[in-house]
Amino acid sequence: MFLALREMHRAKVRFGLLIVAIALLVFLILFQQSLQNGLLTSFVGGIRNQSAPVLVYSTDGQRFIQGSIITPDLEAEVRASGAVDEVSRIGQGTFTVAAGAETFDTSIVGYESLGAPERLSAGRAPNAPGEAIGADADIDQGFAIGDVVTVIPGGATLTIVGVATDVQLNAGPTLFVDYATYLEVVASVNPDAQTALPSVLGVSPAPGFSAADTTAALNALSPDLDALIRAEAADLAPGVDQIRQSFQIIFALYAIVVPCVTGLFFLIITFQKAAALTLLRALGAPARRLVSSLLFQAVLIVGGGYALGTALYYPVSQQRLGGIALRFETASVLGWAIALMVLGVGSSLIAARRVLRIDPVDATTGVGQ
Amino acid sequence: MNTADDPTQNHQTATAEQALVLDDVRKVYRMGDGHEVVALDRARLSVGSDEIVALVGPSGSGKTTLCSIAGGILSATSGRVIVGGRDITDYSERQLTAFRQDMVGFVFQSVNLVPFLTARENLLVVDEMGKRTGAAARRRADQLLDELGLGDRARNLPSQLSGGQRQRVAIGRALMNEPELVLFDEPTSALDTQLGEQVMEIIRTEMKSRQTAAIVVTHDERITQYCDRTVHITDGVLEA
Repeated sequence: MFLALREMHRAKVRFGLLIVAIALLVFLILFQQSLQNGLLTSFVGGIRNQSAPVLVYSTDGQRFIQGSIITPDLEAEVRASGAVDEVSRIGQGTFTVAAGAETFDTSIVGYESLGAPERLSAGRAPNAPGEAIGADADIDQGFAIGDVVTVIPGGATLTIVGVATDVQLNAGPTLFVDYATYLEVVASVNPDAQTALPSVLGVSPAPGFSAADTTAALNALSPDLDALIRAEAADLAPGVDQIRQSFQIIFALYAIVVPCVTGLFFLIITFQKAAALTLLRALGAPARRLVSSLLFQAVLIVGGGYALGTALYYPVSQQRLGGIALRFETASVLGWAIALMVLGVGSSLIAARRVLRIDPVDATTGVGQ
Repeated sequence: MNTADDPTQNHQTATAEQALVLDDVRKVYRMGDGHEVVALDRARLSVGSDEIVALVGPSGSGKTTLCSIAGGILSATSGRVIVGGRDITDYSERQLTAFRQDMVGFVFQSVNLVPFLTARENLLVVDEMGKRTGAAARRRADQLLDELGLGDRARNLPSQLSGGQRQRVAIGRALMNEPELVLFDEPTSALDTQLGEQVMEIIRTEMKSRQTAAIVVTHDERITQYCDRTVHITDGVLEA
């Protein structure tokens, strides 16, 4: 390591610039990973983190809660199925809601026994008409515990009594109310409308049935039913896959760029110091010692770049980006650290191969100068 | 000082007094079109344990090839090579690398110092590549630099040294591993006459004080006055 550390010490600018370049790439990767997860959570967190293990859509709804309508016939078929235990109506609509001095397009979810957020981060569950659970991502916008918001038009008021984490829908403010309150809200906005039908049904499996068994049984009942396990319902919601694919392309590009940058850097400096390496080989330096020195540098540089990039990412990950809450993703940080270390060091093997090919006799002829 | 004699008259047996024995050594290169080039032809040479031999010949005569074989950088096509009593003729690549670490010192014509290491570190790198004696190596490096008049230049990079100082650092590095044989390949070719003479004076002083054998490759006859004996080489053939 003598050679590796001395060389880095004497060429601080060169190696420092590479560390900064890798740090910026790492920052972009981690930031975009947070952005992707935050974006997906703000779109479908309300599905992923509600209490119904199985959600039953109408096929026409194309797995979009607001576009799905469960007719009384379909509801009766589900309730009659032996694969279900508890069945809960869930309605969802987007309403204009005045909170503080501003108005927001707000998703309001009405639920019976199933469909509320699984866990509250603060406050309590509604126990009276007109009470609601908000998303803690919306607290600063006038949806904190104790705030009263008004649905426009109609003037129905909702009082926030509890908040939950990661329960937004459609990347905007989201409220969960009991089903009766939901129907009142719908009626207040459109007094002439008939009683709203549920958007989906929240279902728990009958004893002896897994969630997968129940979805299979319900889907076999009617082609008009589309039952999904909770996690599937979140992942298969319209737009989720497209978002994920777009980000995966970006991540794949980064996974190419980082090893290219590292590999090219070490290849260039291996060419530049070819004369010194040839001299060392002639003096009796084993090739493996020179290669291990090079790989040690690669580990230090990728590791240093990664540490710096993570340090840059941390404060950004504590911020909000519009309606999207970013988060420090420890699993992503560790996963990318391993991936980039493998890719970075792997790409340096091209330079290592060149080192192994050095012929010490070139020191006598000046080749490699 | 110049005690040239017939190298082929030396006994070609490895004894404790002989730092180098080349016995009928040939080096043949096979070219791309199939024909062979003989770079060294049946070379027979022995160098005493504290002897300085000048190897003189025109460009392309085989001087560097001979030195490379003696130093374990190249393998001979045939013949025997014995350095410090060790027969290295059949050494593998790995054995030759270890041999170069332990038994020989080199001062090359062109590339001599690692540019990102200081003068002191260029000496210490020899220890780092080999036994790693640590404090003992540091003491030896400091002592060598002092002897070579470079004590105050120990922390300078090669780019901060003059041509003569760089050659002196290279000489110090060649002596770091206490070699049996030091090979100097045109050590003064990049220096002016005065500096070249100073460097040769240092080489002679250092070799004699350590009783270390040396071969000085040169095409400059003036250099031979610093050597005990001169051997000429032409077209790969050693002459008296």
